[in-house]
Amino acid sequence: MKDLYDNKFQSVEDIQQQFEEHNYICSSQIATCTYIAHNLQKPVMVEGPAGVGKTELAKTTAEILGVPLVRLQCYEGLDESKALYEWKYGKQLLYTQLLKDKLSEVLDGATGLRESMAKLESHDDLFFSEGFLEPRPLYKALQEEHGCVLLIDEIDKSDHEFEAFLLEILSEFQVSIPELGTLGAKIKPLVFLTSNNTREMSDALKRRCLHLHIDFPDAKLERRILNSRVPKLSENLRHEVVSFVQQVRELDIKKAPSISETIDWAKTLLLLHAEHLDSAIVKDTLNVILKFEEDIDAVNEQLSTLIKKAQPNKE
Amino acid sequence: MQQTLEDFFKVVRSAGVEISVADSIETSKTIELVGYRDRGILKDALALSLAKTVEEKDALYECFEQYFSFGAFQNDGLLKKQTLEQKPTEEQSTELAKAEPQTQKEQAPADYKGDLELAKLLLRNDKAELAQSMKKAAREAKITDIWIFTQKGINTQKIMNEMGLRELNKEIASIGSGDCPAERALAGQLRTAQKYLYQEVRNYVEQQLAMFGKTASQSIHEEFLKSSRLSNIEKRDFQVMVKIVKKMAKRLSSLHSKKRKRKDRGQLDFRKTLRSNVAYDGVMFNIYWKSKVVDKPRILALCDISPSVSSYSRFLLLFLYSLSDVLDKIDTCVFTNSLIDVNDIFEQYPVQQAVNKIVSQLGMGGSDYGNTLLDLKNDYMDKIDNKTTVILLGDARNNNLAPQTEVMKLLYKRAKRVIWLTPEMESFWGTGDSEMLKYKPYCHIVKECNTITHLEQMVDTILKVSAQTA
Repeated sequence: MKDLYDNKFQSVEDIQQQFEEHNYICSSQIATCTYIAHNLQKPVMVEGPAGVGKTELAKTTAEILGVPLVRLQCYEGLDESKALYEWKYGKQLLYTQLLKDKLSEVLDGATGLRESMAKLESHDDLFFSEGFLEPRPLYKALQEEHGCVLLIDEIDKSDHEFEAFLLEILSEFQVSIPELGTLGAKIKPLVFLTSNNTREMSDALKRRCLHLHIDFPDAKLERRILNSRVPKLSENLRHEVVSFVQQVRELDIKKAPSISETIDWAKTLLLLHAEHLDSAIVKDTLNVILKFEEDIDAVNEQLSTLIKKAQPNKE
Repeated sequence: MQQTLEDFFKVVRSAGVEISVADSIETSKTIELVGYRDRGILKDALALSLAKTVEEKDALYECFEQYFSFGAFQNDGLLKKQTLEQKPTEEQSTELAKAEPQTQKEQAPADYKGDLELAKLLLRNDKAELAQSMKKAAREAKITDIWIFTQKGINTQKIMNEMGLRELNKEIASIGSGDCPAERALAGQLRTAQKYLYQEVRNYVEQQLAMFGKTASQSIHEEFLKSSRLSNIEKRDFQVMVKIVKKMAKRLSSLHSKKRKRKDRGQLDFRKTLRSNVAYDGVMFNIYWKSKVVDKPRILALCDISPSVSSYSRFLLLFLYSLSDVLDKIDTCVFTNSLIDVNDIFEQYPVQQAVNKIVSQLGMGGSDYGNTLLDLKNDYMDKIDNKTTVILLGDARNNNLAPQTEVMKLLYKRAKRVIWLTPEMESFWGTGDSEMLKYKPYCHIVKECNTITHLEQMVDTILKVSAQTA
């Protein structure tokens, strides 16, 4: 198996092409970002609305580079013991119980407290060794033999403390475990952090990362994405779907439909054997792209104009 | 190229994007990797490593287009067409230069025989070389330090001198002094070219001022805005004010969020610890601490939005809602003559938009504090408890209606604190229809508050007091 950094990207165009082969159509900005991140081994902070392919970017990169993807999902209250490592308390306890009988052998006839302690200490900190360590995503990522792509998802959901804790990992790629010492990465993982911007990240964290903002794609790019993800969809319908979704995004609604929702909708329409968008079928399937009652109502009001605009060729 | 890059950082900085030294080092490395070959990729790479938000990205793109454009010496207006595209060699072009004026029945200028580089360039009209030489001269003249418009003249002069203006003048004088008409024509031609050069350089200096001068003039402007009365701030400056408010809010919230953290740990939570360690035979592996409930201040803001004070309310609301990190809950009501709950507007729209909407839609009519207070008593008293800080913003000019001070008294008893902010100076309190002096006894703090700096101080006080009592 090749290491993470053996597999060199030749150029930005090369990345775009390889991504395309893996069904991920990306803009040149995304490709440039991946190129820089891979070559300079810098973490990437990916921002943008939900469902534009932030997580998918990390997945595809891992696929292309042929390394595992280690994923850490952030949430409020996430701490070191969930993200980095934890001691297997149960196992430690079980072992102490089991080995109780062996204690006399270990002590080997030592008399007095001082001598017994000295005997015990000569056996190292067995109970705090790697065998009793429960590795969590960050630890796993550092320990991967061939490197990996580390995806820290929705970093904006985590607390300030965790963000500060990440700084050491992101700049030095090492962590300190009090019982074991400092642990460095075997091969620096390629890190992607995603954020939905529910809160502002600290400057210190931003400074260490490349900052990539993925927005909703333009119509052309979205058609290409749709073509690669739902190839069975007829070209006509593809045009109509994309045009319709792009129009909906312009409206004043709570949550604009994302790319993944466009793809879902296209799949739905394919399943229903739709040839063209008409108001009946759109009305029935609108809940695939819109997730709020108010939004659906708002779009329903203007449904006929939206459909008309989406079908320029049809009378 | 390093110099070019550094100058670009300077431009970006002046556009309000903060770039640290570490950033610039990292970016240099990045640019080394991607190279200058592809303009699009270069732009993306710069945006990826320098800009940290979407707004910064937009600013950076603008700077990029401005900085990496090559507009100099594109305007031929003044210079006679000496070179034609089809005839690139110098000999041919001088022949042509001779031929053209002849048709206009003018004396053909003589060939230039001196060895002044600038003169040659001008006569040849070598735009690329001229631009190059100008940029070099500009660097020597430290054009990037320009920050105010009065420096335009001196900088233009510096660059021209650096390019060899003095020598050119001498040359023109010496050529034009003779009797030979051809030489005189040449001198005339050079003089025209000199004017053309002057225009181009001046143009260039103006562009540079626009790029590099932003920071200095902006910071002066910001300082001015910070200390000017909120009612005097023009609409066009609102964007800048929003930025200032956000900056202040960020500073305050980072200041106060740290303070709370220190008080987080308390005693051992014995019950919780025991329960979770039953699985380990009562050996305490997981320890839980009793954590104090952090007492974030809860705020009820009552803002007068009658025309006389609406601009103050606007900024107070902007400030409060930018602080959502350190505030528990903000309830906002606005009033002119009766109380209107506007929380739903804040829930639906981003802060700025919401504030605009509220002020423009609801803010008309004269204020009636008495009626507003009655509304407060009837509908909102149950929301106010000993954790609520009530902020009232208004000038207390009641249009000679009943002041209803007893409601204020009730409010004073119930709420944690009552703070009254008024845009008027203390000497005006109680004059005319102002009821300020009647309300004052029932407020914990009454403060004159008419600049953004006042607002910052006030919010700071609110957060400080709540941290101490938490």
